[in-house]
Amino acid sequence: MSGRTPGTGPSKTGPSETGPSETAPWGAGSSGAAHDETATGVTGGPGGSPAAATVRERDALGAGALAGVFVQLKLSLLRNGLRQSSTRTAVFVTSLVFALLFAAGQLLGLILLRGNEHAVSVTVLLTGVLALGWAVLPLFFPGGDETLDPTRLVMLPLRPRPLVAALLTASLMGIGPLFALCLLLGSAFALAHGAVALLVSVLAVPLALLVCVALARAVAAANVRLLTSRKGRDLAVLSGLVIAIGAQLVNFGVQRLGESGGLSALEPAAGIIQWLPPAAAIGAIDSASEGAYGTALAQLALTAGALYGLLHPWQRSLTKLMTAPDGSTLAAAQESKARGERSSGQHRLLPDSRTGTVMRRSLRYVQRDPKTKAAWVSALAIGFIVPLFNAFQGSGSIYFTCFASGMLGVQMYNQFGQDTSAFWMVAQTIATTKDAYAELRARALALLLVTLPYTVVVTVIVAAVLDDWQALPSATGVALAVLGAMLGTGAISSARFPYSIPQDSAYKNVAPGQTGLAWMSVLGGMLAAAALCAPVIAATIWLHSTDGHAWLWSVLPFGALYGLLLGWAGLRLAAPMAARRLPEILTAVSKG
Amino acid sequence: MPEDRTTAAGGTDAGGAPAAVPAVRVEGLWKRFGEQIAVSGIDLTLPAGRFIGLVGPNGAGKTTTLSMVTGLLRPDQGRVEVAGHDVWRDPVGVKSRIGVLPEGLRLFERLSGRELLAYMGRLRGLPGAEVDKRAAQLLDVLDLAGSQHKLVVDYSTGMRKKIGLAAALLHNPEVLFLDEPFEGVDPVSAQTIRGVLERYTASGATVIFSSHVMELVESLCDWVAVMAAGRIRAQGPLAEVRGDAPSLQSAFLELVGASGRNEHESLDWLGGSSGSGSGAGTGAGGAR
Repeated sequence: MSGRTPGTGPSKTGPSETGPSETAPWGAGSSGAAHDETATGVTGGPGGSPAAATVRERDALGAGALAGVFVQLKLSLLRNGLRQSSTRTAVFVTSLVFALLFAAGQLLGLILLRGNEHAVSVTVLLTGVLALGWAVLPLFFPGGDETLDPTRLVMLPLRPRPLVAALLTASLMGIGPLFALCLLLGSAFALAHGAVALLVSVLAVPLALLVCVALARAVAAANVRLLTSRKGRDLAVLSGLVIAIGAQLVNFGVQRLGESGGLSALEPAAGIIQWLPPAAAIGAIDSASEGAYGTALAQLALTAGALYGLLHPWQRSLTKLMTAPDGSTLAAAQESKARGERSSGQHRLLPDSRTGTVMRRSLRYVQRDPKTKAAWVSALAIGFIVPLFNAFQGSGSIYFTCFASGMLGVQMYNQFGQDTSAFWMVAQTIATTKDAYAELRARALALLLVTLPYTVVVTVIVAAVLDDWQALPSATGVALAVLGAMLGTGAISSARFPYSIPQDSAYKNVAPGQTGLAWMSVLGGMLAAAALCAPVIAATIWLHSTDGHAWLWSVLPFGALYGLLLGWAGLRLAAPMAARRLPEILTAVSKG
Repeated sequence: MPEDRTTAAGGTDAGGAPAAVPAVRVEGLWKRFGEQIAVSGIDLTLPAGRFIGLVGPNGAGKTTTLSMVTGLLRPDQGRVEVAGHDVWRDPVGVKSRIGVLPEGLRLFERLSGRELLAYMGRLRGLPGAEVDKRAAQLLDVLDLAGSQHKLVVDYSTGMRKKIGLAAALLHNPEVLFLDEPFEGVDPVSAQTIRGVLERYTASGATVIFSSHVMELVESLCDWVAVMAAGRIRAQGPLAEVRGDAPSLQSAFLELVGASGRNEHESLDWLGGSSGSGSGAGTGAGGAR
């Protein structure tokens, strides 16, 4: 029974303690000496004391000293983090070496590009991609940087402007900015011809770097705000969808590029992107080289404007984050009443037994739990998009639809991890293998309730797009066999390899230290499922290759029955395992 | 080290308790987490039908012990019997007889309070109509009827404890285990919880709860076990454990060897008399 208090993530306590009516810690009247001493005490972590000496000094020195404190804090945190575990050190050193090697290679490549006619397109596009990376990255690693987690600074009397400057300076420390700097320097070197261009470069490179970093900080700050409110977390579900569609679009783009041939295809895109900051700064170097000083100035101004435009909302969102109450409980109160009444009628049809009860709970969680919902929405979206897009591209096969059933089958994996430490409630009611079997079977049935019709619908749609009605039954059969295999192996893996799903971050799906376990269980399970489906797949291939098309329909009952058998066998094997390992499962899933 | 004040470990002749099966019997229970020994070979016999307090400082091993007794954590060694049934060999006999309210573990928080009770009751195998009837009564008594349709994730600490208590009581267990049931609970909710628990024990059921608030334990319990550093320092009826000490608090401090500790010299700058925040520079000037 370890872990933190239920439901209160670390980010939640700060703002709500401050309360709505209290004066902002950095408000107009924050000159109280008591406040100042708190600040000194907290910021002066290990090694951070000299710069943090007194607040009076800091007030005099302003943003500069504060930035120093933050840089020191960041370095101390990094040092202590590395001291904490040798694996972390190893990971850090490895990533540092890789990043440096990659950056060096890139630098070299860009230097070699000097004088090439496509140099502008390439550098501008690279900068664009770099900026995009900086914008997306914090969505995946929001907790990666403790110094920059504004919710930890809530109780400190810091004014927003120096705080933003200090945070920005601190975020310049690290592998990422170093990497970006290499790329930008290389770009400048590839493009700059003449003294004016050199001068522009001196301004453009730091400006572009700051825009990248500020972009990441602005997105992260907005993200923290989004993720601390429940509505926002529900919204975050959409990000999975965006990523799925984005990946397909990139896929399209790469194919288009391959068709039209060569880098010249990039030119129209580069023409637009060189007016978008921070790539505009790189564009300015090129404009200056060509003597278009007015254009260069405009592009630089645009980048500077973008930097201001990013810092301003960041500052606003920080102020709001640190002074306003957490929105997570306020808005939800009224709406949930209506919801409670609505959904009580929704699942009336399910039986009153353990099976029905567990199914009801599972389905409610798909609707209400942001993590589960996110996983389901992206599985549903990707499972639909991938076979459909491939079909539209003409390169697809109707058999890609087993991707849809596979994606949803993955939801059966780590079932108990999805319960989080609330699994103790389940554990308390499982006394026999029979109970465990009923529990697992009900969870599989809840999944089937959605997955079965979904798989059929996706297969029919893809068949319609491809106009391949003949293979519809066999494709459905294969998809169902895959589904059964995924459910069976998922049940076993849930019992054998449970792992925690941290609840405080919408983007982390594995607790630290269990990543290997998570990958092993899902990948191993998928391979096992594929191997188990071999008879059905082999039968289909055999029918296709031996002109037995008239018999292709027989794969449908075969696949369906075979899938059912696999699912049943998996549940049968998993049940005694789960019943025997209840305390171990609880320990494994309570880590987050 | 203070002497072990264990009285009549059998529970047979302690304070006139009935010689019936004890609510909990623990023998040689061990649990180690890596290097750290959380519970080091404790023996414990808790009589049935009592209001029992398991007290000890933070980190004494109370939660670990309760987790092992309730089957949520596997011990490294030792035997646990609840109401005469072995926790690890006879889970059917035990799980239907106990109710648990753990500390620091989540509930299914995306269910409303009412849905959570409906879920737990049906998982326990109670008929649906009966579950709904009991849930309605429990919600009413625990003052949760007004927020029964709110999701548990939106509940306050006190409400969480109360809904957890309701879920633990739903199947009318023989023995109720509560880990820090009053931690972070406001006085009104605490009084409600107290009332329910007192009514429950009056009917002959056993409540075992852990706490580090001695006043509370003293006012509620008729039997206590004192734990510190993974060991049982004393167990027995409240009066015996308290002994000659003026209160359970001082008896407890003596038992865990924490009495007479005084550290006021090192914080001599602390307090209002030394001037308002003139602590510029290091060392926070010794004004006195």
